[in-house]
Amino acid sequence: MKRRYLAVMGLLVIMAMVLAACGGGAATEAPAAPAEPAAQEAAPTEAPAAEAAPTEAPAAEEAPAEAAAPSGDVVTLTWVGPGPGGEFEFRKQQAAEWNAANPDIQINLIEGPVSATDRIGLYLQAFQAQSTDIDIMQIDVIWPGDLADNLIDFNEYGGAEAVAGDFPAIVQNNTVDGRLVGLPWFTDGGLLYYRTDLLEKYGFAGPPATWTELEEMSQTIQDGERAEGNQDFWGYVWQGAPYEGLTCDALEWVYSSGGGTIVSPEKVITINNDAASAALDRAYSWIGKISPPGVTGFMEEDSRAVWHAGNAAFMRNWPYAYGLSQNDDSAVVGKFDATALPGAEAGQSAATLGGWQVGVSKYSKYPEAAAKVALWLASEEQQKAQALSPNSLIPTKMALYEDPDIAAQREFMPKLLPVFTSAVARPSTATAPQYNEVSNIFFSNVYDVLTGKQSGADAVANIEIDLEDLTGFEVGAP
Amino acid sequence: MANAKGQSSDLAKQEQRLAYWLLAPTFIILLAIAIYPLISVFGYSFTNATFASNKPTEFVGLDNYRNLLSMTIVQVPPLIDEATGQIQVDAETGEVQYESSVRALPREPVRFRVVTDFSLFGNKYVLGATDPAFIRAVWDTIVFGVSTVFLELVLGMMVALIVNANFKGRGFMRALILVPWVIPTAVSSQIWEYMFQPNRTGFFNTVLWYLGMGSGEIPFLSDPTWQLPAMIVIDVWKTTPFMALLLLAGLQLIPADIYEAADVDGAGPVRSFFQLTLPLLKGTIAVALVFRTLDALRVFDLFQIVLGQARYSMASFTYYELIQNRAMGYSSASSIMIFLVLSIFAIGYMRSLGVKSDDH
Amino acid sequence: MTTKTKHRINRILLWALIIVMAIWMLFPFYWALNSSFKTEGQLAMTPATFIPRAPVTGDISFTLKNYESVFSNQAFLRAIVNSTIVAVSVTVLALAVGAFAGFALGKLRYRGKNSTLYIILAMTMFPQIAVLSGLYTVITTLGIPAIPSLILTYLLFSLPFTAWVLTAFFRELPTEIFQSAQVDGASPFQTFYMIMLPLTAPALVTTGLLAFIGAWNEYLFALTFTSIQPDARTLPVIIANFPSQATRQIPFGEIMAAGIVSSIPLFLLVFIFQRRIVAGLTAGAVKG
Repeated sequence: MKRRYLAVMGLLVIMAMVLAACGGGAATEAPAAPAEPAAQEAAPTEAPAAEAAPTEAPAAEEAPAEAAAPSGDVVTLTWVGPGPGGEFEFRKQQAAEWNAANPDIQINLIEGPVSATDRIGLYLQAFQAQSTDIDIMQIDVIWPGDLADNLIDFNEYGGAEAVAGDFPAIVQNNTVDGRLVGLPWFTDGGLLYYRTDLLEKYGFAGPPATWTELEEMSQTIQDGERAEGNQDFWGYVWQGAPYEGLTCDALEWVYSSGGGTIVSPEKVITINNDAASAALDRAYSWIGKISPPGVTGFMEEDSRAVWHAGNAAFMRNWPYAYGLSQNDDSAVVGKFDATALPGAEAGQSAATLGGWQVGVSKYSKYPEAAAKVALWLASEEQQKAQALSPNSLIPTKMALYEDPDIAAQREFMPKLLPVFTSAVARPSTATAPQYNEVSNIFFSNVYDVLTGKQSGADAVANIEIDLEDLTGFEVGAP
Repeated sequence: MANAKGQSSDLAKQEQRLAYWLLAPTFIILLAIAIYPLISVFGYSFTNATFASNKPTEFVGLDNYRNLLSMTIVQVPPLIDEATGQIQVDAETGEVQYESSVRALPREPVRFRVVTDFSLFGNKYVLGATDPAFIRAVWDTIVFGVSTVFLELVLGMMVALIVNANFKGRGFMRALILVPWVIPTAVSSQIWEYMFQPNRTGFFNTVLWYLGMGSGEIPFLSDPTWQLPAMIVIDVWKTTPFMALLLLAGLQLIPADIYEAADVDGAGPVRSFFQLTLPLLKGTIAVALVFRTLDALRVFDLFQIVLGQARYSMASFTYYELIQNRAMGYSSASSIMIFLVLSIFAIGYMRSLGVKSDDH
Repeated sequence: MTTKTKHRINRILLWALIIVMAIWMLFPFYWALNSSFKTEGQLAMTPATFIPRAPVTGDISFTLKNYESVFSNQAFLRAIVNSTIVAVSVTVLALAVGAFAGFALGKLRYRGKNSTLYIILAMTMFPQIAVLSGLYTVITTLGIPAIPSLILTYLLFSLPFTAWVLTAFFRELPTEIFQSAQVDGASPFQTFYMIMLPLTAPALVTTGLLAFIGAWNEYLFALTFTSIQPDARTLPVIIANFPSQATRQIPFGEIMAAGIVSSIPLFLLVFIFQRRIVAGLTAGAVKG
């Protein structure tokens, strides 16, 4: 018994000493390395790690890399890709394709976090440490302004020509102080999903064009379905939890009522107007009437769950829900379609612009090679491939909407072209680098309207005061 | 006598040296890991640094702390009818109409926002703060921390006493009680979130509806009155095992012959618990309380996953300030404030429970 | 009332308590298990069903799809190995180093004991997010690989815990044993590892288990430090980022299945260790 304890203790002591030695080393070096010069010193020590990466790539792609290695020209780039899942599998094929064709530039594709908050957190940690570990990254449509400091300008690498065929709104969104910091990659926009079978059952000719129509249809269908015994049925589900998603939904309500975009691209605070406050009051009136009381806790997936079970007539959601609603276990298979969201008046529809860009870190050791890969990823050819992949990523190249293959295999894309061309961008570039605070102020106040804590008029007045204090911009009409 | 004394002082010196040697690894490791991050957090808390930005950082003194903590109470003036010069009164209810609380609060030099309104002696007042989100986060976290730790202590003690009793399958039960603690927070928070769904896909709404209570649409996680209780339930479920296991280990260190003696004296189980077990467990309870309280006050994952930005804990507030708003200086100041709040609790415990380790 | 009936009533009460306790502890776990056998459609059903049922017909219908994707997920299986390596190393180191400190703090007499206790505790009084960016800078600057950096940084939280808990347990041991051993000519260090350590075995096992699970379940550090080393990712990171069909989709059923699979080894571990300490090295040993 005693001997065993001795042996265990001995082992522990040795481990502790080893650790103490390591720890001691860290202690003497770490405080001596202030944040700024740290990155330069770090560069050589990290090189081996980066070079070790290709071993993780599939064997087939490795061969050409090794053959080229003696010349010493192989560059390995780290690409933080999408979260694990369907899209990542497609990106893996892309990386393999690139690696096979370019023995001198090898991509090491890594799964990124699923949640956007985790992802931006990760990027910021890397930027703060001026880490050279990440070269290519995907950037949410609201991040270019915030991250501009840390990203390369694609205009130095032929970016201007490359984005000539993209939606101008997205190019403008990605251009910060004349620097093109992200290449449009794929887009996204808020859609109105509706139940074709129920519209027919209750005698409606087509989806609603105005919010008033939506309210009427929702009420009729909801009353009818509940009378038939489905007590869980609701007219309209959307995203009402206090997070970025609510900013998207509320911007659609406001913009489609002629209430502007919170802050205009010319840096004028436009939110305090009657149209905007009426739009917020209208949304409040839905809760408990045509939308469930719990909608103020809903994110995308919560709304989709209600929809998926066949318990909603209408849903506001992103295009991703389209494919999932066609799965075998969905209650709405073949009974739904998607269209533009309603407006205060017909034709005033607005969809909040979503989607992702490709960016390259300023701290990358090989910005030129990384820019080359990024330009290839965002090229028309690759955008077509990703549109035809199972995830149906929506192109930012206008020409692709006339592409016969896409028209044949993804008929909804050309149909939704008007939604994406007229999509309204959140004021992220105008208010950079403070967009997150702007959005936070906006959705918190909207949330207070939805929970009955303040009226729409108070909310827009509060938002205006807060934005004035935060940004120092002028106030004006939309 | 003199000889013995000399020997003991030699021993004491030997003991002291040994103590320093034994403590050295702990200190070296902790300092090696933490010194740079802690010093930099402290330093940044006096600056306006932006996270991951090239913007020059300036020293701003105590501004961050002032913005976190400034509070004021202002009387809200009643609305005056411009025509009559009288105080406006609601025609239906007969209640006095007041100016908006937002406008009653000062805007210069810094803007105060509404934390809450209250009435006192017929006047209406508003409590304002420069950062109501932080003030609310501190309050919510303290309420959360104190309630969870209290409930966990009581329930954990019951669980520990049960699995310390002699019954068939005790080993199995001891493993079983750890199930909640074993499941990663990332998963357990989502289980609970799903059980609390605001419609009949959720367990609670379904059961309440079957029992004829509630509409089946109670929004537990978005209704402010239910949010904190829900968080407390989740955390108590998750962390009671931690408390129970620590207390169980403490119980096992109590020699059985003490109870035998008490049995002979005819002390009942309740009396022997309060007179023997509890005093002997004091040290264990104190340590368990200190660590549980510190953990509960630093709660992060649970709030971030379940409530997101609807309601913050102190740590999730700090997280969103850093990651979303990139206010590195401000979030560092918030971290230091958390440290101070925790210190108050830690010192309070050590004083009141006598955790002071010096035997003499 | 005879002693016999009194005894019987006590037994019944005890079992009633045990059952209530088990239901309370296990019910959410059961709900996770229930959910892990449901498809997305079944998860969205109203009212919720206590066993997986088909939406329209109401027949019992289990799906194994979630478990299939858990077991076919290479990253998940690798994560179990990674988490084990990290959690075991952290536990062993924290126990070893913490036991030294705990012994010194609990049983030895020296000056400055209170301040030592406070300083050790102060290390755990910062939220994780506060030290995260500082730690990340240190780690990338020194080029420490992901797994060692996780082990090192987790010590920041587990070492103060083990040191403090063990201090309390050491202090609880009667001082006479310690003194009599010294009188017998044993050095303080000998008394420590030959007498005190075996006596605190239950405390060591308990503390170790708690430290182990703490390290096993950590998310934020693990996510950040493994950002460019996906092969080093630990269970919570893999589970929270479980593969989904579409990008915004949260694969709830799979996450539940993964949570359940990953808790089984821990349950077994706890079961084994609990049996070891059931006998209780306590009363008899202390006397002797």
